[in-house]
Amino acid sequence: MIDEYHNPIPLSLVEAPASGAWRDGKRAARIAFAAAAAAVAGALSGSANVLQGQAGADGGPIGGVRRIHGELRDSASGSALRGAEIQITGPVTRRSRTDAAGHFEFARLPAAPFTLRVRLIGFAPLERVVDVSSGDATVRLSLRTSTISLDSITVTANALADPLARVAATSTVDAAELAATRGQTLGETIKFLPGVSVVQFGPSIAKPVIRGLNSQRVLVMNAGLRQEDQQWGTEHAPNIDSFDADQVTVVRGAATVLYGPDAIGGVVRVEHDRVPDGGSLKGDVAFNGFSNSRQGALSLGLLGGGLQLPLVGRTGYRLRFTSRVAGNSAAPDYFLTNTGFRELNGSATLGVHRPWGESEVMLSHFSTELGVLRQAHVGNFDDLQRSLSAPPPDSSFSYGIDRPNQRVQHTTLRVRSAFVLPGAGELEVVFGSQANHRREFDNHGPLRARGIAAFNLKLFTNSLDVRWNHGLQHGFVGTIGTSAMVQGNQTLGKAFLIPGFDLSQAAVYAQESYAIGRVTLSAGARTDVFSQTTLPFSDAGIRSEAGTRRWNGFSGSFGGELRLTDALTTSVRVARAWRPPTVNERYAQGVHHGTAQYELGRASLDPERSAAVEAVARYSTTGTTLEVAAYSNQINGFIYLQPRAPVLTIRGAFPAFNYNQTDARLDGVELSGTLAPTSWLRLQGTANAVRGLDRTNGGPLFDMPADRATLQARVVGTRPQLGNWYIGLGSVLVREQDGVPAGTVYQLPTAGYALASVDFGSANIAIGGHRIDAAISVTNLLNTRYRDYLSRYRLFVNDVGRDVVVRLRVPI
Amino acid sequence: MMSVAMSSFGSEFRFEFPVCGVREPHTIPFHSLITIHQDQIMQSIVRLSRAPLALTALTLALVSCKGDSITDPAGESEVITRVTLTLTPTTGAAISAFIEDADGNGPNPPSAQVGTLNLPAGSTFTGAVRFENRTVTPVEDITAEVLAEANEHRVFYTVTGAGITVNSTDLDGAGRPLGLRFTAAAVAGTQPGARTLRVLLCHYDKQVKPAVAASCTVDTDIDVSFALSVPNIV
Repeated sequence: MIDEYHNPIPLSLVEAPASGAWRDGKRAARIAFAAAAAAVAGALSGSANVLQGQAGADGGPIGGVRRIHGELRDSASGSALRGAEIQITGPVTRRSRTDAAGHFEFARLPAAPFTLRVRLIGFAPLERVVDVSSGDATVRLSLRTSTISLDSITVTANALADPLARVAATSTVDAAELAATRGQTLGETIKFLPGVSVVQFGPSIAKPVIRGLNSQRVLVMNAGLRQEDQQWGTEHAPNIDSFDADQVTVVRGAATVLYGPDAIGGVVRVEHDRVPDGGSLKGDVAFNGFSNSRQGALSLGLLGGGLQLPLVGRTGYRLRFTSRVAGNSAAPDYFLTNTGFRELNGSATLGVHRPWGESEVMLSHFSTELGVLRQAHVGNFDDLQRSLSAPPPDSSFSYGIDRPNQRVQHTTLRVRSAFVLPGAGELEVVFGSQANHRREFDNHGPLRARGIAAFNLKLFTNSLDVRWNHGLQHGFVGTIGTSAMVQGNQTLGKAFLIPGFDLSQAAVYAQESYAIGRVTLSAGARTDVFSQTTLPFSDAGIRSEAGTRRWNGFSGSFGGELRLTDALTTSVRVARAWRPPTVNERYAQGVHHGTAQYELGRASLDPERSAAVEAVARYSTTGTTLEVAAYSNQINGFIYLQPRAPVLTIRGAFPAFNYNQTDARLDGVELSGTLAPTSWLRLQGTANAVRGLDRTNGGPLFDMPADRATLQARVVGTRPQLGNWYIGLGSVLVREQDGVPAGTVYQLPTAGYALASVDFGSANIAIGGHRIDAAISVTNLLNTRYRDYLSRYRLFVNDVGRDVVVRLRVPI
Repeated sequence: MMSVAMSSFGSEFRFEFPVCGVREPHTIPFHSLITIHQDQIMQSIVRLSRAPLALTALTLALVSCKGDSITDPAGESEVITRVTLTLTPTTGAAISAFIEDADGNGPNPPSAQVGTLNLPAGSTFTGAVRFENRTVTPVEDITAEVLAEANEHRVFYTVTGAGITVNSTDLDGAGRPLGLRFTAAAVAGTQPGARTLRVLLCHYDKQVKPAVAASCTVDTDIDVSFALSVPNIV
């Protein structure tokens, strides 16, 4: 659930407000129930899209004539406090900030009691009940400076997110929506957010594409750490347990100031709630079943705050364990041979909250084994031609995973501490250590060497981020920080793809926002230095030079948000970003399995430099939300694979590509909206279009998603035993993708297609004293035969057919 | 379902962390990893309230310890870099020719054919093909591996041009053609001139190798074309 400024509102906040100055217990209970029901109904009606309409839980119409306005001052000095967050919760939830004079206002509220909360870093939070049932209310509030951190309220939107959320296009999927829409992988879970697509190799490998850019141009953050899992490969899916996420936020467009050069296309942030501070053991068991691949996924989570550790004292903890088993996926007429996969993941987090701040340690492990479509591994060009024209072979269902396949393990250790600086915000230190081990087995190999991987790549990454999230300092709210990372790679497999390398990176950045009345200005600057050292290699005809290259660059962004009315805001942002070439772009040499293409890197590649402008307009009233975003992103030195003459070897001919650079431009527009015309009906839609242009050569860029629209209608309601139920119909409409670069066999255009889906479910179903959440959805309801342009298997097989998905969640 | 997942991961469930100063990362068993890091974590938390700088120093030290990078592929044991055809006539000396791809999987094309294969009209030869990996010392004979996995391989011979026929003669364990040995015959009275012999090593792997096949329908391991010639009658 999010507010009109797209800051996520934690469900826990709305469901169970902390104890405060409640005068009337019955009224408190009614508000809590109403708020909870509204939040859950609002969340569930949104499926994957998060712009919510808001409605009363009792089904009555929402309108309002009441106002709350007030003034906020520092209790010690009496001076006005600017930039504090004010949130009111009740039948509706709204957020605002105090202006230069410490004033705030909420209008068009229903006549009901509200809980008002004030947050400002460096001060103790304040909570007050404001009742506008009988008339408008004016409040005068004052905040006390405090060393106690703001953790009585579970925070998922931190100071880092706020500056961007105002001026960049951001979408968020919160815990309830994640539970209701979780797909087979992280990529599948977010693929219907505005501006987002996925490059897929079947359902097990889905990589996020934001505004046409993917892999090394889209950063995935996992619990505050950059996910370093060899993401440069298009068939290397993010190694993240999709159950181990409390929220997923997607930032569209360059976010390089805060996150570094990888975020030139955008950021996918997988976020965890903080561990609780006190409280009893809570947990949940979640089960997802997918009929298409006969998959079962089981996840167990435990959360608690009362662990007493020696020397440390009261400690909060959070555990998660997930297991997933899937067999071959099914297209409407045949099974996709060898597309099963398994996952076994676990994570454990311990955290302490103290007057000086907080500290958390997390250890997590992700392991997967997944099969690659048998037809996708071909011998040479002739084999590929044969595969393209032959019908898929007869295949049956199986849970077995054969070669070609991948085995990946990813281990993360993360230590995060935040120290409260009284009156000056907080100092955050995040240390991470990641080890990624990827082995790919091809379907060639003598019997005696079956266990030897064709590719065996290990990547070790250590990173340290230190940030000062300062509260209001001379009118500025923002973050100043440094970031350092060292990385080492080991290439050990039978075949060579990339050399061993060392990478070091350091950066200094600042992102600030400044509010003046109805305008919020946001600016950021960052400077990075990179050093990439590759080890020499010479064997079996492959020669890789050694050498060190260093780059440095500057990123910046500047934007402003204008609040035209309570309901309408617009923002404009310009950003300048750069990205150094990755090791595979410089040194790849060999056949990249899954595509039978021979890739040749170019060591002399220069960094990409981009300049982008983006405009967003948001309209949000009770019952209606609408967001329109348009952007133009010019990337000079865009690195891509350019077709060249086939490479001839003794094995035959292979289509070959050189890594090369060109000047490109990506333009696009995104629309998303929700409508709640009545209390029981929810309508929702999105539309995306991207055009990628190779400015130097003319013609489209490779891997641009096709134009797409989604429409959804839901009927919602509440019953005592049944809980908050919903029934919905949805559709996905994809236009043909004929904007494909000429000249190679891979750039096959795809026809347009339309898919229908139906889903129904309920949250808080009362069964035997427990409240469970259950949902059933059927995707590709009509078993439509189609091929998506971004599916790399589209050369060989159709996409998956009908899938009946069962999602159960039992809190314990 | 859980047991299926865990059994397939049983051997994989290990943690690897680089240890500072050690050339290779070593695998630390799960329980000792927890012990090592728990002490460091506890100390860090205790120290936190007294000396944030100490924590910074500790983490900076760890940041620089990531283990050494190496490039050490195990070597493509299946790389075939030379294909040699040897033709033995009914009487006389054997002739042979080879095509070599010296850079193995590298981007340079294979060399031109070394050696000429002259098949006089009316002659018959028994032939053998040899696959070698010449990037290693001693030279690795891949033909023996193909023979050992005869059930998964077949060599196809395709002649372009009239008057020469090539048939494989050897069989695998199940009586299906293998193709390491063949006969080549030039029909009497055939026109002199150049012909081409395409040699294709087909790898069946998991597919069942068919008893009868005209061409390779699965994966190609070798695809080279030799030049044959029918010399002028002297």
